[in-house]
Amino acid sequence: MNNQPPRLPLRFLSWFCNPRLLTYIEGDLLELFHERAAESGQRRAKWLFFWEVVKLFRPSIIRSFSGTYRMNQCDMFRNNLKIGWRNLLRNKGFFAINTGGLAIGIATCLVIMLFVSDELSYDTYNEKANQIVRVVLKGKMGDEIIKEAVTQAPVGATLQREFPEVLLSARIRDFGTPKASYQNNTFRDGRFACVDHDFFSLFTLPLIKGNPATALKEPNTIVITRAQASKYFGEEDPLGKVLDFEEWNEHLTVTGVIEEVPQNSHFHFDFFASMEGLPHAKEPRWLESNYHTYLLLDKGYDYKELEPKLPAIVEKYMGPQLMESMGMSLKSFNEKGNHIGLFLQPLTDIHLFSDFSSYSELEPGGDIKSIYIFGAIALFMLLVACINFMNLSTASASKRAKEVGIRKVLGSAKRQLLIQFLTESFMATLTAMLLSVVIVLVSLPLFNNLSGKALQVTDILTVQNVLYFALFGIAISLLSGSYPAFVLSSFKPILALKSKFITAGGKGMRSGLVVFQFVVTVVLIIATLMVDQQMSFIQNKEIGYDKDQVIVIRESGLLGNKQTAFKELLLNDSRVENITMSGHIPAGPSNISMTSVSPGPESVDFRRTPIYYIDDQYIPTMGMELVAGRNFSTEYGSESQNVIVNETFLKIFGLEKDALGKTIKMQTDNEGGTENGVIIGVIKDFHFRPLHQSIEPLVMMNHPNSGLIVRAITLDMPALVADMESMWNDFNIGEPFSYSLLDELYNRTYLKEQKMGKLLRIFALLTIFVASLGLFGLTIFTAEQRVKEMGIRKILGSSVGQIITLLSFNFLKLVLISFLIAFPLGYYLMTNWLQDFAYRMDFQWWIFPLSGFLTILIAFMTISFKSIKVAFANPVDALRDE
Amino acid sequence: MGKYQLGEFEEVVMLTVAVLFGNAYGVSVKKEIEDRLVRNVSVGALQSALKRLEDKGYLTSAEGESTSERGGRPKRFFTITALGKKAIEDTRETRNALYRAIPEVALDVKIV
Repeated sequence: MNNQPPRLPLRFLSWFCNPRLLTYIEGDLLELFHERAAESGQRRAKWLFFWEVVKLFRPSIIRSFSGTYRMNQCDMFRNNLKIGWRNLLRNKGFFAINTGGLAIGIATCLVIMLFVSDELSYDTYNEKANQIVRVVLKGKMGDEIIKEAVTQAPVGATLQREFPEVLLSARIRDFGTPKASYQNNTFRDGRFACVDHDFFSLFTLPLIKGNPATALKEPNTIVITRAQASKYFGEEDPLGKVLDFEEWNEHLTVTGVIEEVPQNSHFHFDFFASMEGLPHAKEPRWLESNYHTYLLLDKGYDYKELEPKLPAIVEKYMGPQLMESMGMSLKSFNEKGNHIGLFLQPLTDIHLFSDFSSYSELEPGGDIKSIYIFGAIALFMLLVACINFMNLSTASASKRAKEVGIRKVLGSAKRQLLIQFLTESFMATLTAMLLSVVIVLVSLPLFNNLSGKALQVTDILTVQNVLYFALFGIAISLLSGSYPAFVLSSFKPILALKSKFITAGGKGMRSGLVVFQFVVTVVLIIATLMVDQQMSFIQNKEIGYDKDQVIVIRESGLLGNKQTAFKELLLNDSRVENITMSGHIPAGPSNISMTSVSPGPESVDFRRTPIYYIDDQYIPTMGMELVAGRNFSTEYGSESQNVIVNETFLKIFGLEKDALGKTIKMQTDNEGGTENGVIIGVIKDFHFRPLHQSIEPLVMMNHPNSGLIVRAITLDMPALVADMESMWNDFNIGEPFSYSLLDELYNRTYLKEQKMGKLLRIFALLTIFVASLGLFGLTIFTAEQRVKEMGIRKILGSSVGQIITLLSFNFLKLVLISFLIAFPLGYYLMTNWLQDFAYRMDFQWWIFPLSGFLTILIAFMTISFKSIKVAFANPVDALRDE
Repeated sequence: MGKYQLGEFEEVVMLTVAVLFGNAYGVSVKKEIEDRLVRNVSVGALQSALKRLEDKGYLTSAEGESTSERGGRPKRFFTITALGKKAIEDTRETRNALYRAIPEVALDVKIV
């Protein structure tokens, strides 16, 4: 027993030692041990034994651990990659279809995500964005719904005084684009606003120069953007310089410079002047609203708690003024079914959720609907692409049943097979994702062009997003790879090797996926056709005036007293048929005047109504039509007491019979002054608002107004415009000639819908393409599976036509099923969309059969690519190999 | 020398294996070296040298009898291969050539 060598070192040795050497080394060690034990005792021998073992612990003796375990994993992975790569090469076409489709899907999704995230980011650049609300005005007067983004001048200060939760308030008042000059530098291209001095404490627009706390404290001070500063002052220090606004006779001292207002802001001004210099801003007038009012609320304070306290404020301050001006208490005002109140809107909702009258907004906003629509498209596009990917992977994988069988027979575990298939799906997904990034980079300028945005990839290139993208890729490959992986890896090897026509199963699922794809496709085709139809309906709608060949010069007021001279000059041109002086344009930006009108001298049934100030040439120039009475004319002397109204006016006020000669009452100012007008003519209803809105009552008065509208008869419009420009320049007023064409203004009103139509068309095409790719791949797969069957059928006398039908019918059946779902869905969605328009096309039933026909056509063409080839093939080739 | 890579210890092991012709296994080689060269040789150093030489093809091995003092483990006898023989001859040649190339003076100076 004493003669035993120590056990521990031996075990240690057998653990690390290369098994090929182990027994010999052990033998040597034991022999030595026994010798030494005999020579110099157990103890020393044991010690030496131990020491020898330690010294044996060296690279050349230690066995290779990776050789048996880790090395194998790595090799397997390499092997998987290699097999996967060979597989891809063997099925090049399949692989291209598969990854191409997926890449297009991902790319579309990415682009839309860029768009959506930009839309959602509006105004979030403000550090206190969550605490800022805008005060808005909502109410109802008679039949008219009031929804204004502007409020009365004293609202901000009053709320700040009355409620401690309101920390700060600031107002913006838009003053358009004035001419500004410094020494010899004169420009007219900066948007100008007056703001309260707390403006820069509320909004996060840091001052590069100047003190934000005091910059706008004094009257006649102004903060400008960096770009404007360098334009006017060059390298000089802008602080303390004076900018001249000659039109207003104002001279404002620059007290601060800011960077450009971020692109994702709901306002973009270049000049921020102090509100202190605006006397009107300090007057306690509660019956006029001209100011965009913003409040900074206490942290964590919910604006919904403040809102119920606002009616009391309205009553307290507005009530007495209402009494004074209209002789009506707020109570009796409300009793007549009227209502007026202040409400709050979170800053971050302004861009997407505003439905206030468009002229009261600082800038046209976005639309949450388009976010939903595009979001849905992105989601569906991605789903279709993923489904395709899954479908094709499953289909192509079932060709490999034999491989799986052999692998299993050779001892492959289920887990290893799983990993094999997942590796392949990862490879394909990775390729697709890289490809999609390239597609995004290439197509982004195009998309920007269409959507009018300046999206950049760098906008979303954050670590977080890249991480999401990677996770997303993993999810897709797991999703699309897991089904074939699980199905195939669970094959019984004997079945896989024995049976000839093994399928990967899931035929029902594959069919379901094909149906889903075609539902999406058909709905998109329907949507595209509908939007197209509505757009051409708008183009061709009888709008009540002739929009072609009309030149609008809105800024003719810049000519001052030379305006008439310019007009006379133009009239001498033979290409000019007629000219009217008015800035009231039925499409695009226009002068706007509203007044309260009641249908009789004694009536108090006031209704806010737009007024057009026109001259006697307006109606002929615009090609409008009078249905009764006469136009304004110089023959009748002063026409200032006469009015022309539209048909809707008569309808609304119940004056259809004998309207001519009736007197109506109009409010002339806010103090309650009125004047009467006699109806001398009735004009046929024309659309002076976008077709989204119904025609409102309208009053036209003969009153000088600035702006020129020119009706031309020429085939060469650019030449006429060029001549007009040179005439304009002869007046030497130092202002550029600017004009617009009425038909372009009209079309621009529907820009949103047109862009939507274009984008829809592109997305529809892409979806069709991706879905067709999927169908194509599936056909190839089934055709290959049934190639022998087809060969035998041909030998037995099947015609080419019969074989094509046989191969196509199954898929066409699926497409037909998809119609059953797509038609009602498309109908529902599109009628919903059309609700936006007060004037919409008659529902076009032919769109449904057409979209169905198109889809079947596309599907059939896709399928026949392969099926015709199979049908014409020589049966010998198909049957030979057995 | 260029053709055959042989370290000093490796050379010693090769020569010893040749000396012990037919009876060269771990313990005998170790003892022979320790006796002749009066230096300690650890089993680890020896075994790794033997493995290296075998990998290079200079030595070949065969399993021998197992004895009780070895706990029933077999011996592994090494013999030198033709390649191994060439290797030690080459090493020797190179060394001799170097010796011959030494000028007389160099050695003289050392003596003085």
